[in-house]
Amino acid sequence: MTSGARVPLRLVIGLAVAVALDTALQLVWKTGIAELPDTTSVSELLVAVARNPIFILVAVFMGAQLVNWLKVLDHADLSYAKPFTSLSYVTVCVLSVLLLGERVAPLQIVGIVVVVAGVWCVSQTRRATLPTAAEAEPE
Amino acid sequence: MSPTAFGVLLVVVSTMVEGFGQTFLKKSSLDIERRRRWILLGVAVLMVEIVLYSAALRFLAVSTAFPITSLSFVMVTLLSRWLLAEEVAPLRWAGVGLILVGTSLIVAQA
Repeated sequence: MTSGARVPLRLVIGLAVAVALDTALQLVWKTGIAELPDTTSVSELLVAVARNPIFILVAVFMGAQLVNWLKVLDHADLSYAKPFTSLSYVTVCVLSVLLLGERVAPLQIVGIVVVVAGVWCVSQTRRATLPTAAEAEPE
Repeated sequence: MSPTAFGVLLVVVSTMVEGFGQTFLKKSSLDIERRRRWILLGVAVLMVEIVLYSAALRFLAVSTAFPITSLSFVMVTLLSRWLLAEEVAPLRWAGVGLILVGTSLIVAQA
């Protein structure tokens, strides 16, 4: 078991960026979906998506997310990196309160604490089973 | 099947699809010679996930759909273990379990 202190800064930043982009994607996606017409026609939906600038933003965020995530996976196991993205549940909850004025229930605060505890557990485990691609071939 | 149940089913399937997509992306880092192929495969699979999740949002509120996506943490951990032979220490499993419970609590109230 290694301590969190030995995790390279690049990986920490990559995970933080992944959570930030995840959060932005969820909030923007939510807005975009809400603006779609109430239709079951696939072609009408596709036209509406193509015309809505929000979905261009979604595409840009997704591209950035992919580039960043591939970098993260060069430095850590998938089963190490993925759990960190659960922090976006926390950030989406907090931002919904701050931006949308939603009320936070006591159980949600418990949930936030439990998620953070879970991420802390994962952060205390070894980040890579084998030397990572980034370590084998330094950039 | 009620629209809600159908929506839930779509989200659950999308979490399984996500597990495979993420596994393929990680493969791109392990199998450098075929890096591009793994990335393309991973992205293609994740696009299927997006279609499934978007479809689900036609039947469910985000506040219902989003917590179910936390199942993807379990799927990704299982597939990392099985397909990528990653060591998943008991403490990491405990973390994933806490994350499942915590994310459910966050959204159950939403």
